[in-house]
Amino acid sequence: MFKNLREKLVITPWLIWLAVMGIILLAGAVAGILVFWKGLVITNLTDLVPWGLWIAIDLSSIALGAGAFSLCAGVYLFGLKRYQPIARTATFVGLIGYTMATLALILDIGKPERFWHSMVYWNTHSLLWEVTMCVILYLTVLLLETMPIIANLEWLRKRFPKIASLMSGVHHYAPILAIIGLGLSSLHQSSLGAMYGVIKARPFWFKPEMSVLFMFSAIVGGISITLFASMVSARLTNKAKVNDALIERVAQFVGYLLIGYFYFRAWDALATTYTYDPGRSEGLHVMTKGPLAFNFWIGEMLLGMIIPMILLLYKQTRMNPFWRMLALFLVAAGVVAFRWDTNIAGLMVVMPFVPGQAITYANYVPSLIEILAGSAIIAYGLTAFSLGVKYLRVVDHSRVEAEHERGKVETTETVTA
Amino acid sequence: MSDKTLSRRDALKVAGTAAATVIALQMVKKANASEAVVGERQWAMVIDQNKCTGCGYCVMACRAHNDVAPDITWNPVLEAGVAGDNQVYLPRPCMHCAKAPCVEVCPVKASYYRPDGIVMMDYDRCIGCRYCEVACPYQARSFNWDAFKGANPAVPEWGEPEVERRPRGVPEKCSFCYQRIDRGLSLGLEPGVDPDATPACVVVCPTGARLFGDLNDPESNVSKALKENPTYRLREDLGTGPRVYYIPAVAEKMEA
Repeated sequence: MFKNLREKLVITPWLIWLAVMGIILLAGAVAGILVFWKGLVITNLTDLVPWGLWIAIDLSSIALGAGAFSLCAGVYLFGLKRYQPIARTATFVGLIGYTMATLALILDIGKPERFWHSMVYWNTHSLLWEVTMCVILYLTVLLLETMPIIANLEWLRKRFPKIASLMSGVHHYAPILAIIGLGLSSLHQSSLGAMYGVIKARPFWFKPEMSVLFMFSAIVGGISITLFASMVSARLTNKAKVNDALIERVAQFVGYLLIGYFYFRAWDALATTYTYDPGRSEGLHVMTKGPLAFNFWIGEMLLGMIIPMILLLYKQTRMNPFWRMLALFLVAAGVVAFRWDTNIAGLMVVMPFVPGQAITYANYVPSLIEILAGSAIIAYGLTAFSLGVKYLRVVDHSRVEAEHERGKVETTETVTA
Repeated sequence: MSDKTLSRRDALKVAGTAAATVIALQMVKKANASEAVVGERQWAMVIDQNKCTGCGYCVMACRAHNDVAPDITWNPVLEAGVAGDNQVYLPRPCMHCAKAPCVEVCPVKASYYRPDGIVMMDYDRCIGCRYCEVACPYQARSFNWDAFKGANPAVPEWGEPEVERRPRGVPEKCSFCYQRIDRGLSLGLEPGVDPDATPACVVVCPTGARLFGDLNDPESNVSKALKENPTYRLREDLGTGPRVYYIPAVAEKMEA
């Protein structure tokens, strides 16, 4: 029997992919268990830099999950119905992003077993409380929004056709869910920035623009990662089918958004010194000339904004799938760099409180345990998306469009067929 | 019924619900406002930098009475320049701010104001997110990255623990020895006057550099010290309203 199985087992690229992801996930699981067992002492976090790699992953995955609300709002509220298939992918990406963020937070907090306290003990003054509540509620919305996608599971449709059709029926409420999703996302995507923006003790963060920057970068990055993931899937498997014309149009829109994002980010960063507030110029120095200079100039500005802006707005390169894919990937990576730089630059500048003392600098390099656990969170996201492409057809521009037009009754028919 | 009418009507419903939520939140906010009750007594500390010699007794007494781990200091004594030929020191307990950033940002209200002005930590409620640590301008909070196990080297030489040891995974900070104040008051003692009702750092100080008492009592030693001396507070520009006042070091006073 074992021999039989071995004969049947053909090593395909898919299996290699799963194996690699499996190894990273396993290593991360070990790291995660060590963190819960030994505590955060095995990280490189300190009292001066208490938020590190995991928080950056948390911020980034929430940002890259923002395609869900942006595209759903476009499709269901602004009536751009033909982009519905992309919104469907974005919803799935959003669900993955938000669960990744939850995983990162559970690792990062000192008392993970008390995560539910934020739901019971409310501090309505706290932006972190608001973000937590919104994320929990929005995760519920995303789960509802993905119901029709999960209903596509072959096994579910055969085994429990009634449940599957009920789940497909949730699709009918998509416009309402889109409104709730838009509200919750606008709240917490910007509050995530405001969380930093209200900290008076850290002048580099203390500004109202933080919330706008976080919101803007999330919309740009969220749409980009969704388009990129769709295109990559379509290249790698025939389970994913994309309508290239649709993607191309949205990609052009991302190009225009990038102009706004670039203007705002560059203007905001370089105008930082205007107030001459102690700590603020130092933060800018860390970011533009210090240890984060490469991240800022190359990662965020050049590769994250200027090059993709050109690639996406110049017709020749936009029409070419390779250049378009590259540009979309760079945009998403640039948003991740923005989140990392913002978090770390603010923490690195240590403000003195003793009169007459100078500003000092803290440093932080993540430990191996942090990197392993963090990689596993990313690997979880990649695995979940690839499984979704293969078994739930999350990237299928031909089929879903028709399903949406037919409405509720006929959806049930296709299920039983 | 077409999709469109449904969505429009429901949009109104959602808008209505949202409005109701905002009103409800406003009500919650009003209810919250009452949380910062201002009690009859308002504790404060005055530290005379002319008298502080940087001996560090307060650090050790604090560690013993509050059972603080050796790698954590609630109340460090920092060097703060020179006055004449003398080194000046600045002991830094928690400032117990009137507008404490840590209380404002805590997502679960684990940090809160007591009516007497002490900024307290509920270690059983804290989830360990460290937002308070990021928000505190005075670095007054230390996170328990690891559990503090074994004997406390400051005990019994510097005193006996009076409070429970904090678990791994929560930040901790100075509490103005609330346990001594509360116990002292229940025994009819006066904090700042009777050693048993006064923070351990104030009691142990060999030069009497620290004063503790009630700001609402014009006869208390802190009220008198504030009236008779020029004082300053740390990072007053931030508007946090610290309850720890410093009498600045002056060369002539230090010689004396």
